[in-house]
Amino acid sequence: MFAAIRKYKWQYLMIMPAVVLLLLFSYVPMAGIQVAFKNFHIGYTIWNSPWTGFENFAFLQDSQFWLVVRNTLYIAFLKFVFGFPAPIILALMINEVSRGGFKRFVQSVSYLPHFFSWIVVAYILQSLLTLDNGLVNQLIVSLGGDPVFFLGSTEWFRPMVVVSGLWKEVGWNTILYLAAITTIDPQLYEAAKVEGAGRLAQIRHITFPGILPTISIVLILSMPSLIAVGMDQIYPLMNPANQPVADVLDTYILRSGLQQGYFGMATAVGLLSSVISLLLVLVTNQMARKINGEGLW
Amino acid sequence: MKRSTSEKIGQALITLILLVLCLSVLYPFMYMLAISLNVGSDAAKGGVYLWPRKFTLSNFQIVLGNSVIQHSYLITILRTIVGTFSGLLVTLLAAFALSYRQMPARKTLLTLILITMLFSGGLIPFYIQLYNLSLINTFWVYILPSAFSAWNMFVMLKFIHGIPEALIESAEMDGAKPPRVLFSIIIPLSKPMLAALGLFTGVMHWNDWFAGAFFVSDQDLIPVQTFLQQLLSAQDISVVMGSNNNVEALARGSNLSEVTLMSVKMATVMVSAIPILCVYPFLQKYFVKGVMIGSVKG
Repeated sequence: MFAAIRKYKWQYLMIMPAVVLLLLFSYVPMAGIQVAFKNFHIGYTIWNSPWTGFENFAFLQDSQFWLVVRNTLYIAFLKFVFGFPAPIILALMINEVSRGGFKRFVQSVSYLPHFFSWIVVAYILQSLLTLDNGLVNQLIVSLGGDPVFFLGSTEWFRPMVVVSGLWKEVGWNTILYLAAITTIDPQLYEAAKVEGAGRLAQIRHITFPGILPTISIVLILSMPSLIAVGMDQIYPLMNPANQPVADVLDTYILRSGLQQGYFGMATAVGLLSSVISLLLVLVTNQMARKINGEGLW
Repeated sequence: MKRSTSEKIGQALITLILLVLCLSVLYPFMYMLAISLNVGSDAAKGGVYLWPRKFTLSNFQIVLGNSVIQHSYLITILRTIVGTFSGLLVTLLAAFALSYRQMPARKTLLTLILITMLFSGGLIPFYIQLYNLSLINTFWVYILPSAFSAWNMFVMLKFIHGIPEALIESAEMDGAKPPRVLFSIIIPLSKPMLAALGLFTGVMHWNDWFAGAFFVSDQDLIPVQTFLQQLLSAQDISVVMGSNNNVEALARGSNLSEVTLMSVKMATVMVSAIPILCVYPFLQKYFVKGVMIGSVKG
């Protein structure tokens, strides 16, 4: 035992910084979940504050909380329904482009928004949609319509989040699918052509089945972030006017915890959301194992 | 081979859709650039779509003359450099150590790392821990919590496993200790992977506004993105006009009355976006490779 440890002393030394950081920033916070069942205030430690049982879970009877849950699920659903198939369709379209120059141009341009922050995206939305002199409202007015207060409207918030999310990530998310397409055996297409299969038939019977394993992996990997609907994206766009539809679990945790100081209650909400995420991953991984014969781990 | 009419129409349709997509990506930047280079009071009348109508640099002079912005820029650059370097180092050291399959406790360590990818304590316990470690309101809150990345570790591990073991074994025969193996074999062979992961880590640091907004209250420590986030909901331009070296000079030229909140906002966001637009074409080949390395499951 000691001999083995001595033999690998360099390796243990090298992994030490990572272990310390994991302990400090992942495992101690996990132990900190007990705050959800305690009456914690700054000044106490997570260990010596008094237990309160399920007192912090009183939010479960708060209608505001259920509104936030509804908003979260609604946005998660919309983002998934539009955000999951879109890169697959885009990758199939890019693959149909025969001119190499145009294909590379489309790829370069569509990857670009991934590299900008959600704050920059919020600025773009503001410049295009603001009530006085936003580009879209200029157009609406010049066509004889009444300007729309997009940024402060409850109806336009969800479309705004879905479209800007697509705009930022759809191109980037095609990379894996395009890579998978290049690994498909070209002889399959040749054979299909001989059989007289058109482009659509080739996509349906060769390209799509060829990227199906990639699709299932991406599906599993997207599960943990499914109900973390992108607080990075939503927080900058949220304002008092659209809050009734914009407030999601993460912004609720942020507000009640960091801004109002209800640490125990905010931790309890966070715990619920972490557990749901974990369940989603485990269930999809099990399903992938059944369908593909193997999961992610 | 003859193509049917319907396939030609399909091709044309696809080309059209892709062109519209590209335009939707590029146009907002051209629009924001045009507004930021136009006299603010003039742009407010509307009608500036593609080119500035009354050209001016005063919006940029105001933005670049603001000492808070200058300082936030410095913080962003510093955290990007320190964060990327330390992130790659800590993660690579861990991945290299774990690439020794015979190492005792290897499985346990890997499992412990995997768990952190699936479950976390959540924001509040994390914040309490930052508070207990006295990291709140320090520069290190940008660096330390993200210095080890579980995801990047697994990507690196998989890459290292792809390096022929014979190379490492022959070096070990010659008496090379692990640090030597790492620096003379692993790192030179991992350059494309390190470049890609370094790029992703760098972009993450460059774009992060969250830590600056919630873990730091000292205005001298906020990065550009957090400044932008504060400016996003600003109701007047005093945020940018205060502590500004260029305001006096501009006031003498009586340009000041023509500056609007929108024109200053657009100039600020362009100042944060232009560096990325400039380096993007050169880095492309690295990140596509990087996504591929990470894609095949390990």
